[in-house]
Amino acid sequence: MRWLKNLWLTLNRPATFLTLGTISLAGFIMGVVFWGGFNTAIEATNTEEFCISCHSMESKPYQELQKTVHWSNHSGVRATCPDCHVPHSWGRKIARKMEASSDVWGWFFQTVNTDAKFESKRMEMASREWARFDRDDSLACKGCHDYDSMKWDSMSKLAQKQMKRAAENDQSCVDCHKGIAHTLPDMGTARAPELIAEVGTGPNSFNLQQDYYSALTKPLYFSENGDVEAGTLNVATKVKVLESTDRRVKIAISGWRKKIGAGRVIYYDFGINMLTAQLSKDAAKTDGIINGFEEKEDDMTGLKWQRVETQLWTDAEYLIAEQQPLWDYARDTFRSSCSVCHTQPDEAHFDANTWPGMFQGMIAFVNMDQDTQALVQKYLQQHSSTFVKKEH
Amino acid sequence: MKTKQAEQKQKTRTGELRALGLIIVVLFPVLSVFGIGAYGLVIWVIQAFGGVVSH
Repeated sequence: MRWLKNLWLTLNRPATFLTLGTISLAGFIMGVVFWGGFNTAIEATNTEEFCISCHSMESKPYQELQKTVHWSNHSGVRATCPDCHVPHSWGRKIARKMEASSDVWGWFFQTVNTDAKFESKRMEMASREWARFDRDDSLACKGCHDYDSMKWDSMSKLAQKQMKRAAENDQSCVDCHKGIAHTLPDMGTARAPELIAEVGTGPNSFNLQQDYYSALTKPLYFSENGDVEAGTLNVATKVKVLESTDRRVKIAISGWRKKIGAGRVIYYDFGINMLTAQLSKDAAKTDGIINGFEEKEDDMTGLKWQRVETQLWTDAEYLIAEQQPLWDYARDTFRSSCSVCHTQPDEAHFDANTWPGMFQGMIAFVNMDQDTQALVQKYLQQHSSTFVKKEH
Repeated sequence: MKTKQAEQKQKTRTGELRALGLIIVVLFPVLSVFGIGAYGLVIWVIQAFGGVVSH
């Protein structure tokens, strides 16, 4: 403690031996040396060599980059890791460096050091990176790519239209251009984690004879514990619970089917191609599974339709009591996904039989898992002009 | 008497040199790094809650 007191005494009175010149020169030189050293250190962490000095960065993202146009192209420009992943302005660069301290954590505890670990975290890591690009309006891309410098003439008509729209809004590039420098995470097989987070997995016990709605596309079974599947129940479909055990519930599904082939597809209503359930061939052919009632002919197509009811078993989870949360989620997804590239049409702009074609034609442009796809399509059909005609 | 004064002078001189060295080689650089780090952290936190910072 004494040295600290002595130090303070020395600092707190005018220097008796050191001249003002010595002190200011020493301060100036150290300032230059420090600032130079600091920026050199920051620059050193901003090089590709530094990034790929970690095995997990070298073995996956760096290898993937080498297959893309950002690595090799006829203009001879190559993007290195920090070009895209570190903001270029000083303040945000420092912020990103602080943020990257969590990567040191990941390196220390080896969270992505093997292929399997990396793949299982790919979606999470990619989502985080997309969020960063979104937050920055893809400024890192715009360091090289400039809307104002684009050669519109050499783009296709469709590309021109989309790009000009994006330019008007100064849109973030990764809104559309995902998976262009690294492998796109597998998004088609995950079972709608965001949807389930929103609507829940359903109640623990069911009230018999009450209506419930499927929160995912669900398998149907012949019996309460057998493994033989009898088909699938579409998402957001109303069913009535008849019996319940620990694992499964017996449900009643009603709708209409076309009288062609085995007639194994059940639709929402007469003449409306809105999927309710799809039974297997075996199930459709087994006596007593599908109970048929009155028949009607559709003048538009000349097809005979029949009202049907079936009673089958399904897993007790992902059956929820309310339908509205499903529609809320579908509406938000529809609005955010479609408006990325164009003004989305009004739900009631098409009828229930036109929406599937329109929707399937656009689905390739967005990243939507199969459950969410099915849900959004059903939402659009259910809110189409077929059902909301009276409000117009 | 004279040697004692000289000794005292020498002591002050060493003390001043040491203090100068300590401050500009160790203390101020360390403070600067902390300061810049804190600045980065603040921007990070602001961006996490309130969207992008313009500089």
